[in-house]
Amino acid sequence: MGSRILSFAHQLKWLRFLVVLAIYLSIFWRLNAQDDSENHAGHVPIISGGAGYLHNVDGGVTSLEPQVSPVLLVPFGSHVLLESRTDFLGFFQRENQTTGPFKGKIFKSVDYAQLDWLANTHIMATAGKYLLPYGLYSERLEPFWIRNLQDSPIDVTIGLPAGGSGDGVMLRGVAIQRPSYSLQYSAYFSARSSVNQLQAARTAGGDASIFLPHPHLEIGTSYQRLLQDHEINSVSPYVSWQPPAVPIDLKAQYDYSYYGNGYWLETAYDFDKLPIPPFLQKLQAVGRMQQFFPLNGGGNDLPRINTQRFDFGLNYYFRDDLRIVSSYGRSFSSQQDANVWNIGLSYRFILPLWPERKK
Amino acid sequence: MKRYLVFLSLLTILLLGGVGAAALQQDTPAAQSGKKAASSSNSSSQSQGTTGEEVFQANCARCHRPPMSISPRITGTIIMHMRMRARLSRQDEQLLLKYMAP
Repeated sequence: MGSRILSFAHQLKWLRFLVVLAIYLSIFWRLNAQDDSENHAGHVPIISGGAGYLHNVDGGVTSLEPQVSPVLLVPFGSHVLLESRTDFLGFFQRENQTTGPFKGKIFKSVDYAQLDWLANTHIMATAGKYLLPYGLYSERLEPFWIRNLQDSPIDVTIGLPAGGSGDGVMLRGVAIQRPSYSLQYSAYFSARSSVNQLQAARTAGGDASIFLPHPHLEIGTSYQRLLQDHEINSVSPYVSWQPPAVPIDLKAQYDYSYYGNGYWLETAYDFDKLPIPPFLQKLQAVGRMQQFFPLNGGGNDLPRINTQRFDFGLNYYFRDDLRIVSSYGRSFSSQQDANVWNIGLSYRFILPLWPERKK
Repeated sequence: MKRYLVFLSLLTILLLGGVGAAALQQDTPAAQSGKKAASSSNSSSQSQGTTGEEVFQANCARCHRPPMSISPRITGTIIMHMRMRARLSRQDEQLLLKYMAP
């Protein structure tokens, strides 16, 4: 009887919470109608994301990797957004790695499923499963339809335990904005979870960067403290620069953690400003160099020996959302040197889920 | 050590080649007329403050190629998503909405 009363009280509590949430959402929706009076932007739910295929040969072992990553975006007015991304990745290799028929399986993972409240310039709050805001890759360059080289840097797992997602809350926004610069921040806390599709490590951390809009230069640092098992710190300063006068994209990051340190330096050059035939202007050349030096034995998805790698890529953009990607890389370590080849196709899609409401 | 030098040299060539090619491009008549247009638009934007186009050019390319077009119907949702990812201000969001869905 007592447990039944407790259960009823619990349900009542949830009901109250949902009613309050619904009232808040409807208030935001009303505010939205006033905010957008100066433009014709629609706030309809959409499904976006990417679809692609990658043919990878790493040290003589071929992998076939078809991938679809739908991103669901459901706005509630212009201040609340529900967003989620799920990866469906096929991974097929020959039965004995170099001989036999291709075998494999399709992996599914929820990268993030979060509710955002875009309160104002200074505060945007997120709750749920979110991508850890660490360095340049996790949140921004990780989608395969965005990244210039399909292979991630070898030290990308620094600061991204348990797959790079956190379960908890995050605050972010613009601390200071002036015409010549803006100071941006993120701060988060994630609880430990082993629930299927919600795996996360207990961590706390943040990221701060200064963005100079005129030279298109961003300089920032990410910090994270792992609050379980070994309490270790990770820190990664980074820089991103797209000089306005030239079609070059420069990105670099240094990563340090208990298990090792390393850096990567990537540059991409678009041919679209060159005085060459139009079909060649759709080319993009990419180069990346990186080194990693393990500490305390390495491990945790990081190399256990000193590793260096160089990559060259050539991408061809049919349109801004459809491209062929290709790259050649060579990895050097005391165990073995290996060639890595990639060729594939990536397509970014955006589809509205239902018609815009009448204003 | 030699291979680092080789790769660094190639990266430098790529970088300098890009800068040089862009400099050549700037000297062509078409580029000069574009430069004039840009400078007149700059002077007008300085008098009026930052424009949506400037916010678009400065922020989108930080991570990806700016999209050629987005339907106004979905622009609001896309900009909300980008505002979260790129940590844009409310002011930037409003300028982008006016620019992309006037």
